[in-house]
Amino acid sequence: MTDQPSHLEKAIAEQLHSAHGLDLEAAARRAADMQHRLAPRFATWVRRELTILESRDRKRSRAQAPRPRAAAGGREFQRFSLNVRLQHAVMAVSVIFLILTGLPLKFSDLAISKGVINFFGGPDVSPIVHRVAASFLIFVGLWHLAYIALTREGRAHFMLLLPRPQDARDAWQQINYFLGRTDQRPRFDKFSYVEKFDYWAVYWGMVIMIGSGTVLWFTNQFLKVFPKWFTDIAKEAHSDEALLATLAIVIWHFYNVHFNPHKFPMNPTFITGRISEQEMIEEHPLEWERITSGAPLGPADSRPVEEKGGQR
Amino acid sequence: MRTLAPLASAALAAAAAAQPVPAPTPAPPPAAEVRQCGICHGRREFKQVDADGTARTLWVDERELRRSVHSKWHCIDCHADVDRIPHPARLAKVNCQRCHFPGNPVGAPEDVNYEGYVKSVHGRLRLAGNLKAPACQDCHGAHGVVKHTDPASQVHPTRVPATCGRCHVQIFAEYTTSAHGISLLEKGNTEAPSCSACHGEHGILPAKENASAVSATHIPETCSTCHGMTEFNLRYGIPINPVRTFRHTFHGIANELGSARVANCASCHTAHNVLSASDPRSTVNPANIPTTCGRAGCHPGANANYARGRFHIDPSSRDAGIIYWVALFFKILTISTLAGLGMHILLDLAKKLRHRHHGAATRD
Repeated sequence: MTDQPSHLEKAIAEQLHSAHGLDLEAAARRAADMQHRLAPRFATWVRRELTILESRDRKRSRAQAPRPRAAAGGREFQRFSLNVRLQHAVMAVSVIFLILTGLPLKFSDLAISKGVINFFGGPDVSPIVHRVAASFLIFVGLWHLAYIALTREGRAHFMLLLPRPQDARDAWQQINYFLGRTDQRPRFDKFSYVEKFDYWAVYWGMVIMIGSGTVLWFTNQFLKVFPKWFTDIAKEAHSDEALLATLAIVIWHFYNVHFNPHKFPMNPTFITGRISEQEMIEEHPLEWERITSGAPLGPADSRPVEEKGGQR
Repeated sequence: MRTLAPLASAALAAAAAAQPVPAPTPAPPPAAEVRQCGICHGRREFKQVDADGTARTLWVDERELRRSVHSKWHCIDCHADVDRIPHPARLAKVNCQRCHFPGNPVGAPEDVNYEGYVKSVHGRLRLAGNLKAPACQDCHGAHGVVKHTDPASQVHPTRVPATCGRCHVQIFAEYTTSAHGISLLEKGNTEAPSCSACHGEHGILPAKENASAVSATHIPETCSTCHGMTEFNLRYGIPINPVRTFRHTFHGIANELGSARVANCASCHTAHNVLSASDPRSTVNPANIPTTCGRAGCHPGANANYARGRFHIDPSSRDAGIIYWVALFFKILTISTLAGLGMHILLDLAKKLRHRHHGAATRD
C-alpha cells in the first residue's frame, strides 16, 4: 500500500496537472512530496478544497449531462454478499413476526390487538409464534457473530463499521449541509455514520431483547434463583425496548430505505446486494474512489459487477 | 271504530297469547274471604305432617302479609288454583308472572328481569324440573315481600348473603370472614359487595360460562366496578389501581386477549375469601404467595422468590421502585433517540424540498 499513491495524492496530482498545467510526472512527484511533507491539518484542508472543486465540476457537468444515473454508464457494484443479505432477511422476517405478536400485548386494550393476536392463533398460540421467531433472531445473532469472527469479509466489514471520530465530524457536516451552511456533503466510505448507527443500534436491541426475553421465556426457572423484581425488570425492559426498536425501524429505517424521496418505494440493495455506480459516487465516494483507483480490493470492498446493469 | 275493533281484539289476543295467565283486576280483598283462608291458615299450629314424620307449617302470618307490598291483594289472587274450599292438598307454586310482566295493567313493578332469570343457572335448573333451584319467592320472600330498599327485605344488600347462603352454605361461611363480608355484614357498609354485586341478580350464570360476570374474562371488569376507581381504592387504603395495573401484567394482557388459562383477580385473591394482603390468612400475604402462585397448572414449585418484589406495578409511579427507574430510563432513551432521528429526517426532507423549490435539477 505504501508504494501505491494514495487517493489524496492522486487527486492532488490530477489537480496540479489539470489546473496548473504541470505534466503528469511532475504533478505526481509534487503531489507525493506534498503528501509526505505537509502537516496533516494542511492535508485535510487541501482535501476539502479539492472536494469543493470536484463538487463544483460535478455540478457543472451534471447541469450539462441529461441524467446523472445515465451518465454513470449503468455499471453496478456488489455491495452486500449473499451471506449478509440472508442475515438481513432472516432478521427482518423474524423481527416482523416478533413485532406482530409482541406489540399487541403492549396495546392489549386496543381492538386491533385482539384481531392480530387471534390471527396468530389467539393468546395461547401467539406466544409460541413469538418464541419461534425469537429463536430465529437468536440464531441470526449467533450467525452474525460467527460471520464477523470467522470470515475475512465479516472481519473487514466489522472493522469498517467501528465508530470513528470521523463519523461525528461527518454527522456534523451533514447537519450543516442540511441547514445550508455548507455546500459540501460529507464523503462516506462503505458505511456512513447513519449505517453505523443502525448497525450498533441492533447490537443494543439484541442484547436487551434477547436478554430480557430469555428471562420472560423461562420465568419459572429464573424465579427459582432470582427474586420477582428481577423478572419485573425484564418485562419492563422488553416492553419498552420493543417499542423503541419498532419506532426506530418504522420511522428511521423505513425512511432511509423506503420513504426517502430518493429511495421510494424502496432501495433494492437489500435484495440484489447491488448498488449503481451513481449511487456509489453520491453516497460512498470514498469507497468508490478506493475501488476505482486500481488499488487491490479489500475483502469488504464492493466489487464491480461485470454484466451490464442497465435499467432497474 | 269498525276498523279499529278487529285490531283491538287482535292485540288482546296477542297479549293473551304472550301472557297465558290473565291479570286479575285490582280490588281490595273482601275481609271475609281473607278470614275464610284464615280459618285454617291463621292458626299457628296448622301444619302438615308428611309420611316420613317431617312437619311443614301451613301457618300464614297475617301481619306479615299486611306489611308486605302485596297487602291489598287477596290470597287467591296469587294462589289462583284455589277454586273451592277445602282446596287440593298440594297447590301449585305461585306464579309471580301473573302480575309482574311488562305492561301489566295492575301497576305491578314490571319484571324486565324475567328473561334473565329464565336464562340464568337458577332458572335453567328450575325449568328443567329441579325444585331445589330457587324461584322468585325463594329469594324475595313469599308472604312478606317488601321492596328491596327496605332493610327488612330478604334481597336488601345487607341480607342478600344470608339469603343466598341458605343454599350456598360453604360459600356464605367463606364470605362472612372475608374483607367484603366483614365490611358489609359487620360494619353495615353498603359500598361493600354482596353476592349480587359481583354475580348479578336475576341473570346469574356459572363462572365457567363466558357471559358470566364472574367468568375469567369478565372478572377484571366486574372488580373494576369498584376497584377501577382511584378514589374508591384510596378510601380503603389501596394505593394503586389494582385493575389497571393488572391489565399491564402478562396475566392481565392474556386475560384481556381472551385466554382463560391465566390468572385473573380471583385466581390469586380467591373469589369469596378476599382479604387484605397484610392479613396472614390472605392468599396474597407474602407468606402464602408461594402456595398461591404454585397451584397446579400455574407455577409449580413456586418459592419465596415469588414474593420478593412488588405486585400490581405502575411503572409511572415512584412506588414501583426499580421498575420506575427502568421505565424512566427507557422513556428518556426513546424520546431522545426518536427526537434526534426525527430531526435528522426533517432536516433531510427540508433540504430536499428547498432544492426542488429552487428548481435545481440535481439530485443530492
